[in-house]
Amino acid sequence: MPLLTPETVRQVLHDMWGYDVAGDDAERIANMAGALATGARHLSSLGLAGIEPPFGYPMLIADAARLAAEKR
Amino acid sequence: MAHPYEELLSLDVARLAEKLRAREISPVELTEAYLDRIARTDEKIRAYITVTGDLARKSARKAEREIVAGKWRGPFHGVPIALKDLCYTKGIRTTGGSKILADFKPDHDSTVWSRLSRAGAILLGKLNLHEFAYGISSSNPHWGIVRNPYALDRIPGGSSGGSAAAIVSRSAAATIGTDTGGSIRIPATLCGCIGLKPTWSRVSRHGVLPLAYTLDHVGPITRTVRDAALMLGVIAGYDRNDSTSSRERVPDYTASLDAGIEGMRIGVIRELNDGLSDDVRRSFDAALAQLGSLGASVDEVSIASLPLAGMVNSVITLAEAIEIHEESMLTRAADYGTDVRRLLEAGMMANAVSYIRAQRARARIVADALGALEGRDVLVAPASAIPAPRIGEDRLLDSSGGAVDGVAAILRFTSPFDVTGQPALAIPTGLSGEGLPLAMQIIGRPFDEARVLRVAAAYENARGAIPPPPAL
Repeated sequence: MPLLTPETVRQVLHDMWGYDVAGDDAERIANMAGALATGARHLSSLGLAGIEPPFGYPMLIADAARLAAEKR
Repeated sequence: MAHPYEELLSLDVARLAEKLRAREISPVELTEAYLDRIARTDEKIRAYITVTGDLARKSARKAEREIVAGKWRGPFHGVPIALKDLCYTKGIRTTGGSKILADFKPDHDSTVWSRLSRAGAILLGKLNLHEFAYGISSSNPHWGIVRNPYALDRIPGGSSGGSAAAIVSRSAAATIGTDTGGSIRIPATLCGCIGLKPTWSRVSRHGVLPLAYTLDHVGPITRTVRDAALMLGVIAGYDRNDSTSSRERVPDYTASLDAGIEGMRIGVIRELNDGLSDDVRRSFDAALAQLGSLGASVDEVSIASLPLAGMVNSVITLAEAIEIHEESMLTRAADYGTDVRRLLEAGMMANAVSYIRAQRARARIVADALGALEGRDVLVAPASAIPAPRIGEDRLLDSSGGAVDGVAAILRFTSPFDVTGQPALAIPTGLSGEGLPLAMQIIGRPFDEARVLRVAAAYENARGAIPPPPAL
C-alpha cells in the first residue's frame, strides 16, 4: 500500500498545484488517496489484458464534427 | 381542515394529464396550487433554491390557451415540474448548489429542460442539492439543509435531495435529478418515491453541470412508475449537442406497463444481499416474495467483480471532478463547502494510472453484470442498507451495535450501476419501524428501461400505496 503521509500530500499539492492544504485536511486526503491508489492497483486482478479504456475514436470524431458545425 | 388544493396536489402526472386534457382543471389553477404549496412548506423542507413563480404563471396561461384551443402537446402539457439546479435554464440562475455559481445565468437551456418545455411542462423552479452533486446528504452549506419530509431531522439523500423531497412534500408533480454514484436513486429511496437512472447516454447531458463526464446520468424522480415512464419518453433520445448521447430508438415506455411479470426471471444480486439493517432485510424479503407471488421466478445470482465497482466509481469521479473544478479550486477554494472541498483536494492526488485502470476495469464489471442477466429479465437488490440517517450523522450503529459508515452503507448499493451504465430504478418497499421509507432497485440490460419499468409497475400495483409523510 502506498504510504502517503500528510506531509507528502502538502508537498505535492503545493509543488504541483500551488495549493496549500489547511489543518488536518492533509491527513484525510492522504488516507483517501492512498486507499484509492492501492485499490486501483488491485484492479489488475480482474484480468484486464486486452481491455481498452472506454473512450474510442468514434467519440472523438463526433465531438470534432459538433465543434466544426458550431464554427460554421 | 384540508386545504382546497390537497386533492390536486396528490395526483400523479398521468392523472393530471387526463384532467388537464379534459379541461376538468386548468394549468393556471394547478400552478397556483403548487406555488401555494411551496410557499407553505418550503421554509421547512428547503427543496427549492429558486422559485420561478412569474415564469410559471405565464407559462400556465399559455398552456391553458393552447389546451382550450385543442392543441394538446402530451402528458406534460400544463404540468408543474422542477429541475435539479444543475440543469441550465436560460436567463434563470443555475447555481449547482454552490456559492461559486450563485449568480450564474446560462445563455441557453439544458436539453432536458428544452425537451420538457417543448412538451408543455411548467417550470416551478430550481431544486436544492448537495453542492455540485458531490455528496449524498443534500445538507447544503450555501442554500440550506434539505430535509426529509418523513422526518425533518433526517437527510433526504442526495445529491438530488431537493428533487425527491419536492415530490414527497408535494411541491412539484415531477422532477429531474442526476446520478453519478446514486444521486437519483438514493434520495428516491430515502424519501419514498420513484427514481430512474436510465442507461448512460440515453438522456442528453448537454447543459447539465458535470460531476464526472463518464458516469453522469440524467433522469426522472416521480410519484409513480408510470410518471417515470412518461417523463423518460420526453427526455430520452439523441441530441446533437451531446456527442455521447445514444441514437438508440426511444420506445413507448408506457406500452408494457400493464403486461405483468408472469413467467419473468429475476436475479437477486448476491453481493448486495448482506449487511442490511433488520428493517431493510424484512422489507426486501417481502418485496421478493411479492414478485414471486406475481408469477416471476426469483433466484440468486453472483456478479463477482461488483464489490470493486464502488472503488472504480470513486477513482473515476475524483479524477474527472478535479479536472472540472480545477480553476475554481485554485482561485476560490474557500467558497466550497468543507466536504466537497476535501473530495476535490483528494482528486488533486489522483494519478493517471489509477484513472485509466479504473476505466478499463469497467468492461470486466459490465461483462459480469450482463452475464448475470443471461436467462434473466432483470436483477434486483436493496437500494440502501439503511433508512435515512439523521442530519450530520456520519457514523451509524448496525443491528449488532457495530459502527458503520453511513455513506458507504448507501453508496455500495447504487454506485456499481453508474459504473456499468445499466438502467436502475429505485422503488419504495415500505416503511421502517420508525416510519422511514425503504426501497429496492430493479436493474436491467442497457437500453432496456421498458422491462425495468414493467417489473416496477407490476410490483407497485401489487404493493399498494405506502403511507404518506406526516402533514407539514
